[in-house]
Formats: sequence, C-alpha cells, structure tokens
Amino acid sequence: MKPKVKARLQQGFLWLVAVAFFLPVLWLFLAAFKTASQILAIPPRWIFRPTWQGLTYMASHQAFWSHAVNSVVISLSAVVIAIVVSFVAAYSFSRFRLRGTNFMMFVLLSIRMVPGAAVVVPMYLMYTALGWINSYPGIILFYAMFSIPFSVWILKGFIDGVSPRFDEAAQSDGASRLHVMFRIVLPQVLPGIVAAFIFNTIFVWNEFLFDFIIGGNQVATIPVALASGLYTSQGIDWQYIASLTFVYTLPLMVVIYFFQKYLLVGMTFGTVRGEV
Amino acid sequence: MAGVRLVGLTKRFGTMVAVDNLSVEFPDAQVTCLLGPSGCGKTTLLRMIAGLEQPTAGQIFFDRDEVAEWSSSRRNVGMVFQSPVVYPGLTVFDNVALPLRGTLPGPELRKRVGDVLELVELQAVAQRKVDTLGNAERQKVSVARAVARRPRVLLFDEPVTNIAAGERITLKRAFKRLTTEVHLTLVYVTHDQTEAMTLADHIAVMQDGRLVQYGPPRAVYRAPRDRFVGWFLGNPGMNFVQTRAGIEDGAALFAGVQGAADLALVGFRPEYVAVSPVPEPGYVPARVVRAPITVGGQRLLTLQAGETTFKAKTHYRQAYTAGQTVYVNLPADQLRWFDPAGAALLRGTPGRRGTGPDGE
Repeated sequence: MKPKVKARLQQGFLWLVAVAFFLPVLWLFLAAFKTASQILAIPPRWIFRPTWQGLTYMASHQAFWSHAVNSVVISLSAVVIAIVVSFVAAYSFSRFRLRGTNFMMFVLLSIRMVPGAAVVVPMYLMYTALGWINSYPGIILFYAMFSIPFSVWILKGFIDGVSPRFDEAAQSDGASRLHVMFRIVLPQVLPGIVAAFIFNTIFVWNEFLFDFIIGGNQVATIPVALASGLYTSQGIDWQYIASLTFVYTLPLMVVIYFFQKYLLVGMTFGTVRGEV
Repeated sequence: MAGVRLVGLTKRFGTMVAVDNLSVEFPDAQVTCLLGPSGCGKTTLLRMIAGLEQPTAGQIFFDRDEVAEWSSSRRNVGMVFQSPVVYPGLTVFDNVALPLRGTLPGPELRKRVGDVLELVELQAVAQRKVDTLGNAERQKVSVARAVARRPRVLLFDEPVTNIAAGERITLKRAFKRLTTEVHLTLVYVTHDQTEAMTLADHIAVMQDGRLVQYGPPRAVYRAPRDRFVGWFLGNPGMNFVQTRAGIEDGAALFAGVQGAADLALVGFRPEYVAVSPVPEPGYVPARVVRAPITVGGQRLLTLQAGETTFKAKTHYRQAYTAGQTVYVNLPADQLRWFDPAGAALLRGTPGRRGTGPDGE
C-alpha cells in the first residue's frame, strides 16, 4: 500500500470514530430544531424542516432566564475571585519560597482531588449552620474555593518563568510590590491567566452536584435546571431539554475551539506551556 | 550622585560567608569595578548596595545617609542585571520612560529619555517594541532606564556576560561613553579583567568575600598586594618562583646570594620577560617547553630555565618551536617580592642584579 493511501485510510477511520462520538450531541442539537412530535418520532427523523419553535418555547419560560443568568453570573464571578486570589498566592509561592512551599502546593492540589461526593454532606451541614444555603455569596465562594488550587498551580508555573530580576529591577526603579505584581509580572503571565480562567470557567459552568445540594431555587444553574426541569404533567419535556442543552453547550464549544491550547495548559497544571 | 561607603559589611547564608567584614569607599562620580573569580561575593556585595539583599552586619552609606535599612526603591539606585531586564510589549521609549512617568512633566520627560537614548545610541529604534531587539540592544535599554532616573548610584552586575561576543564591544563602547560623558557613581561587577581595566577609575579585587586590594587599575596591576591578585590579574597571570632571600621588617633585602636564609616568592609578569633567540649579554639560556600559542596578537611561551618553569609573552613575529633554546632576561625593577604565605613585601634592594628568575 502506498504510504499516502495508508494515511488517508487512517484519517478516514479517525473521522469515523470522531463522528460516532459526536453523534449523540448532534442528535440533541438537531432535536433543538424539531417540533415535539418530531423529536420522539419512530423511525427517527434525520431530514426535517428546522423550526425555532423549541427555542422560542424555552425562551418563554421565566425559569430559563433565571437559570441562564445564574450560570453566567456564578461562573464568571467565582472564577474572577479565584484568579485574583490565586495570582497573589502564586506570586507569593513563587517569589518568597517559604519553608514548606512545595508541601503547601501539594496539599492545595490534593484538596482539589477529593471527590465531591466525599465532602458534599459536611459542606451541606456547614452551609446550613452558616445560613449560606441558596445564597449567591455562598455558592460563588464555594466555586471560587474550588477553582483556586488549579489556578495557583497554573499561575505559579507561569510566574516561575518570569525572572525575579524583573521584580528587582522594577523595585530599584522605585516601584512598589503591588506595582511589580500587577504592572510588571501580570502582563507577562497573561496566557496563564487566560488558561486558568478558561479551565475553571468550564468546570464551574458544568458543575452540578454542589449547586444541587448547597444551592437552591434562587441560585440554580443550567445543569441543575436540566436535571430538575425534566418532568411536566405530560411526562419528560424533551423539547425544553434539547433546546436548553443546545444553548448551554454551544458557548462552551466555541470557547474550547478558540482556546484549545490554553486547555492543555490547564490540564497539565501549567507544566506544559510552550505553545501559549 | 553619591559616594558609597561600606563599613564592616557582612553577609552570611547559613554557614557560608559570602561577604566578610568588608569596608571600602567608592568615590563619588567615579567608576569602580568589583573584580574577582566566580563565587567571591562580588554580586552579593552589589545586591546589598542595591537593597536586594539584607546585610547580616555592617553599614552602607550613600554620602551621609545610612541606607542599610532602606528599601531598594527608597535608595534610588539604578540596577542593571546580567540578563537584560526589559518590559515586554512596550517600546524602547516607554521602557525607559516607565519609572519616570508621573514624576516629570511631559516635555521634560521626553527630553530626558531622548538624551539618554542618544547616549546609548538607541534613538533610531526608540519607537520599536523591545521584543524585536537583540540581547545587546535590550541591555542598552535597561542601562538607559537605569541612567534616565538619575539615581544616586548605578550598579551593574556583569552586564555583558550574557551578550554574544560580537555584540559586547558595542555595549562596552556605550558604557565607556556613558562613564566619560556623564559623571556617574558606577559600581560595576565583572570577572573580566579587560573590562575592568578599560572602564574603571578604581578596581576592587575580591576573594572569598574579602576585599584584597583596592586602587587604580594600573597600580593594582603593577603592584599586587598578594599572590592571588598577581595571579588573577593579567592573562596569563604573574609567574611565581620560590627562592631564598633575606627578609627583614617585611621587606626583601637581598636575594639569590649564598647564605640567604628566608624562603620568599618572586613574581614577574610574562610580558616583562625579555626573550631573544640568540645569546645576548646578561641573558640566561632557557628551553621552550611547549609549542607556543598566540594570545591577543602575542606569542605565549612556556619556558624552563634550570628547575624553574615560567611563562613569557613575546611579539607574534618571533617564531619559536618546542625544545628550542632561547635566552631570557628579567629587568630587576619588574620583580615583585612576596613572603612564603603570598603577601607582598616592600620593594627591596635585591643583592644582585636580577637576571634569571631564580637569581642566577
């Protein structure tokens, strides 16, 4: 076999696998543009006239807007808080190198590795005691706390890459420590900030368990809405689910497409950062 | 500008003593080169003057101000590091102007930055992003930034070490221009003696955290205070030959005569050894040990006379081969005397004309 033909065949096979994996997602996306009867039609309808009916139906729900706004507000504010805290923490870890820095970095990451199910009950009890159940500050702080370890790891890797000579030169030039951090070091680790931001936003955007347990109606995000908004008097409301899933997934797919290389940084805790 | 005075300055890292009870004064508006081998504490000393390292003990004065407790920014020093520190994403002009913003009105700031850029010959690239520049030009930018603030003291930490050899000369030329046209108190750390000899008004030779000798470059070169300085300065350094001499009150009185009881070292620089291919009056025979190598347009010979091996520099036109016999002479006034421990002795009156290195 000619190498070129072989390569073509391999590529074709890979495409086949990719399409197979994407098929359920595609099916949901198609469903978002079908009528309720078309979604459940047997045999399945691949060819149909697209309709905005499902999306307008979803948009007419009061609950949809509150869930969508919650998702955006909670993810963004939690991650912004996390990044500010993490940048300062990572700068300190990187520059002051206190005794036990490595151990603290390890502890920080291991906190993040604890499965959610293991801590959800104590968290619930703690939040009840504090009266933070179903409150924005409560859920935002929780997600910020959950986003900090990864962000510190990613940012420390980047800040380690900025020579301390920058700090020293700026300080002898008359700059304060805050000026050094935010005006000299920060601009040089922007790729790390972007990576931490994207990675944690995706995590918070997708999180279900804690919003379900320590959240409540007022702070319910789209994942919670998807799970709890399933049932109507006529059974499962597939049209609503399909439309909501479409609207919920699309922004993530766009973000992931444009920021793929930053995701790699996130998944390797900032240790691989050659491309960004 | 200000003079820098150090009093009993000491820095310990754990049990390691980096700078050991060092006292010296670097005069106002002069260039002082801190010279010494790697690890002798010269960079630590510079960082303490800059306020980037806290001294374990001792005092630092800028003129009359005791600054050891001051933060780096309060000391008003300009620091240039081994690797160029420039702020990426900014133009050359903005890099130099950054620390001045808010302290000078616009027109004055533009003039100040423009003048400094002209001094280091960067005005042509003033509006380019620093990211597009090579290492040597980046280093010029960081020098310009340090100078533009008109700090009390300028501190350079081996500023050409990380620059490609071919570009070093343009940087050194810029430094020379800087030091002659602007009167700066500059403390310049280097391990390259040629650099020190070219730039410095004074050099301070350091070894193991101590200041070994301080003075004008030629004086230190001609009259090293101890064996280390003689060996460290010069390329190659001084030859040392053990001999017998009469030492009295720290001075070598006579040498090479029968009955001289004391051990002593005689040091002489390779370039002062006169070498001739043919016998001449007062010259002693020596053998060329190794094939000569050429250093900086001069031929470096390794010679042996009697039991003594030493180096000599001759004009590159003279060709010698290994094993050849040549004739050498050492002018007596170029001999330096040291006691067996290596400390310089006062200029003595050697008992006989110093001809051969071992007093033959």
